[in-house]
Amino acid sequence: MAQTKEPERYEGVERRLQVVGVCLFALFGLLCFQLWQLQVVQRNRFEEESRENSQGLTRLKSSRGVIHGRGGVVLADNRASTEVAFVPGECPKARIPEVCARLQELIGIKADALMAKVESVAKAPYTQLTVKTDVSKSEHITIEEHAFELPGVVAVSSPQRRYLFGQTGGQILGYLSEINPEELQDWQGYYMMDLVGRSGVERVYEQPLHGQDGYAMVTKYASGAAQLRTDRRGVPFVATRDSLGHSLQEEGGRREPVAGNPLYLTLDIGLQAKCEQLLAGERGAIVVLEAETGGVLALASAPGYDPNVFVNRGRSESRSELTTSEKMRNRAIQEIYPPGSVFKIAMAVAGLEEGFINENTRYFCGGTFTLPAGGRSFKCHSKWGHGSTGVIEALAYSCDVFFYNNGVKLDIDRISKWSHLMGMGDKTGIDLPSETPGIVPSREWKAKHFEGKPEWERRWYTGETVSVSIGQGGLSTTPLQNAVLMACIVNGGYRVRPYLNAEADPERSERLFSEKTCKIVTEGLRMCVAKTEGNPQGTGRQAHIEGMTVIGKTGTAQVVGNKFQDKYKSEEDIPYEMRDHAWFVAGVLDREPKIAMCILVEHGLHGGSTACPMAKEVIEYFYANDPKRQEQPAATPAAVAKAETP
Amino acid sequence: MALTTTSFDVHDTTLRAFNIRNLKRIDWLMPILVLCLAAIGWATLYSASNTSNPLFFKRQILFFCAGLFVALIIICVDYRLFVSLAPLMYAVVVLMLVGVLFAGEERKGSERWLNLGLFSVQPSEFSKLALIYMLAWYLGGLGNRIRKLHWFLLTFVIAGIPMVLILKQPNLGTALTLAPVVVIMLFAAGCRVWHMAALLIAAISIVPFVWFEMKGFEPSPPEYVAANYYGKLKIRDALREQHEANRKPYDLHWHQKMRIYGYLHPESDKKESGWQTYQSMIAVGSGGLSGKGFLNSTQTRLKYLPEYHTDFIFSLLAEERGFIGAAMVIALFTAFLLRGLSFALDCPDMTGTLLAVGVVTILGFHVFINMGITVGLLPVTGIPLPFLSYGGSFYSTTMVCVGILMNIPMRRKMFVY
Repeated sequence: MAQTKEPERYEGVERRLQVVGVCLFALFGLLCFQLWQLQVVQRNRFEEESRENSQGLTRLKSSRGVIHGRGGVVLADNRASTEVAFVPGECPKARIPEVCARLQELIGIKADALMAKVESVAKAPYTQLTVKTDVSKSEHITIEEHAFELPGVVAVSSPQRRYLFGQTGGQILGYLSEINPEELQDWQGYYMMDLVGRSGVERVYEQPLHGQDGYAMVTKYASGAAQLRTDRRGVPFVATRDSLGHSLQEEGGRREPVAGNPLYLTLDIGLQAKCEQLLAGERGAIVVLEAETGGVLALASAPGYDPNVFVNRGRSESRSELTTSEKMRNRAIQEIYPPGSVFKIAMAVAGLEEGFINENTRYFCGGTFTLPAGGRSFKCHSKWGHGSTGVIEALAYSCDVFFYNNGVKLDIDRISKWSHLMGMGDKTGIDLPSETPGIVPSREWKAKHFEGKPEWERRWYTGETVSVSIGQGGLSTTPLQNAVLMACIVNGGYRVRPYLNAEADPERSERLFSEKTCKIVTEGLRMCVAKTEGNPQGTGRQAHIEGMTVIGKTGTAQVVGNKFQDKYKSEEDIPYEMRDHAWFVAGVLDREPKIAMCILVEHGLHGGSTACPMAKEVIEYFYANDPKRQEQPAATPAAVAKAETP
Repeated sequence: MALTTTSFDVHDTTLRAFNIRNLKRIDWLMPILVLCLAAIGWATLYSASNTSNPLFFKRQILFFCAGLFVALIIICVDYRLFVSLAPLMYAVVVLMLVGVLFAGEERKGSERWLNLGLFSVQPSEFSKLALIYMLAWYLGGLGNRIRKLHWFLLTFVIAGIPMVLILKQPNLGTALTLAPVVVIMLFAAGCRVWHMAALLIAAISIVPFVWFEMKGFEPSPPEYVAANYYGKLKIRDALREQHEANRKPYDLHWHQKMRIYGYLHPESDKKESGWQTYQSMIAVGSGGLSGKGFLNSTQTRLKYLPEYHTDFIFSLLAEERGFIGAAMVIALFTAFLLRGLSFALDCPDMTGTLLAVGVVTILGFHVFINMGITVGLLPVTGIPLPFLSYGGSFYSTTMVCVGILMNIPMRRKMFVY
């Protein structure tokens, strides 16, 4: 065997190994230094982070505040909606198909679909799979009865909004829908998928109605979601396993949810139902106000919708169809119409207050009115004229010529001023969303409206003043504004702010006009309705109620000019969209509470024949059934349903 | 080292591979340290597996027993036998590394395993030991000739072949662990300092390259931050595909850039690349001075820490045992490594010295890198912690290393015969 020489050994190896040793020491020293930094110097910060990591809040949803109507009637509350859920992880694997099949037999779900769902959460077997939402009581009981055959099947209940009167008052109450990203950003205490008010008082009073969510503090894993269940009384608790099967425990610090504040409305649901019943089949609106305060007793708009449609997330087709339909529009506050002769009330007040007319002023009505300068003539609605007419007769018989004269004297800017004072052309301030201000024309308005057009188009003409004097010619108001106008007369000259929240303080303006003016106008309006011995009778006679002082003013607002209507022989031949709007505003003076109301029937032809009888029924119903005056129990959904079916 | 070397034939050792008398010279401090570390490892793993799978703990004990068996064999057989077989081992490992590139199966993204029918092996794990043996054989045989540049450079050719093959897998972590082994073994073997300095400067010059590569790398554009979970996944996928499509051969891969990015911005994007580092820092930091107590960790129990059985087990230990426990483990490792280094110092045989230095380096490097990652000093790369991390292959590698180390002082008296 060849002897190979051991190679020369490097002399400095000892030194170099020492260097390696020192390096090793230095590196491990660095580790210790960093450990010290993290564990001792920055300890508090990391402890905080660790705590934040390890404890999660599971939200316990609050239930929405209950909405009451006049007399404490519950209009919207929350019922327990039961959802049947299946937790695959709590069921032995082999039995899952059997359980699915059994569920199909018992509550009629599709076993295949459920099996597919089970497959899809194979990685998170403790996810609560929704089997059926909002099951009926009998189905719920069936599930509980067969509990031993259905391992892993649980019933979870949650509060769900219920509008007890269905479509009645639906537009006022509004509906709920999922919160949108902007709201989520701006509002405190809201989370994804929360339901928030979308219209009506649900929207205006969203914050007080919403309540305060509670929470349960549970262990929080890096992944996996805590599952919320409820016991038999609907009290929520966190399931012992999260979706991935980690075992959880509540770590104390639970805060119970606080339900939303109840909301009390001035709305008389019985009256509302009556109004909606009267409007059935028509397009229109009925507004009934407490004249002294402005409390809204009824605010019906037809056609309407049932907000319960929006409660279930499931039926989305009918929902999307509804959201784009005209049923969503509240005609009482969102649509504008020329007020027609109803505006003569404001004209009379303006004329009397500005001193252009008094109780003795008389104009001759021969059926037409000719402008002094231009020679253009305007017709009165009575072909043969009313003869010599004072302000009281003019209001009672709705003489146009009297108000043409009055209007020309007043001039448009004074008319505009008084209209605004009495609540037209501005939002009334009712606590409902999306109110329309309407239009009261004036010189300024016209110049602004036709900005950029030639001067002759922007100028105001006296002829236009004549049209405005009888509530036509660009004048556009909402039915609610007309009700406020009527309330002004009924309460003796105060403009009220209509409101729905009974706990709000009523607001009213300074007295707008003198008692004398009020007396004169009231007399005119009383004559309009009253059955007088002599001929002719007032235009609103069909609203007359024996033994009650009802005042009122009819209105017939033209949608198109006379020449279009004159083509047709009789009123029935006029196409629907060309027919006049029928108005009637009314007030009751000698009952408590005094009410002021406005009825509008779109294309209803005549205020006197279409709207007046409705007013009579509304007034009679209200004083016979006012829930605040009566000892009898308040309206119930069943009773209202009965009243609605003829 | 005043020992006079008698003539010694490396190839002669085959006859005296096993000598029962050598066992009398066994070093007793080393096994005690090993047992201490192993016991701490079991306790930590018990805690880790307590909330996940108790099998981890039981298996780890089995791995230790298997490793102990292998270590005992290594202790009994003269290390020079293995050193003489180094070229063969090296060749086999290189062949396996080539094979794994073509027929390997991927596990956990980047590690490649070779299926040998009965069992799967991870050739990159073997390459660590094979390279140490190979370098010990090469440098030990070379002696002072290492001061010549070409011999010096040849070392890098030897080390470079497996490293490039491992990088190809791609397994950056393992390839990186081989680098310090080469450097330290060369240094101990007595290479010229300026050779080494030039090399290190060349290595440091990679930094501007990396900086250049990372310039303009932005995995979290505004639309990404604004997107929801699934949107995020989509945007990241699109960005990655775009990056990989435009990548030139010398460019870094997307996932490598992501790791560097995560290291540079550990808190900027807590849920993403820096997530692991940051969660590990929370775990370590929240442990405080004395820790949360045995089985009381929250960061790991609630699965905020990924891989807490393996790469992040030190975070668990630091969380439950606090600074005191963690520093104690560091002290134990330091003692263990320094003891190994002292064997190298005392060994009269250059091959043995180099072998010991290589083994100490690779274990020390694992310990430092792993702990450095868990305390947020270094970017995340999958490197296990000896004795503590769960895993059969690496545990046996570790025990083989222990066997090699203990074998070295046992032989030293041989020369005085």
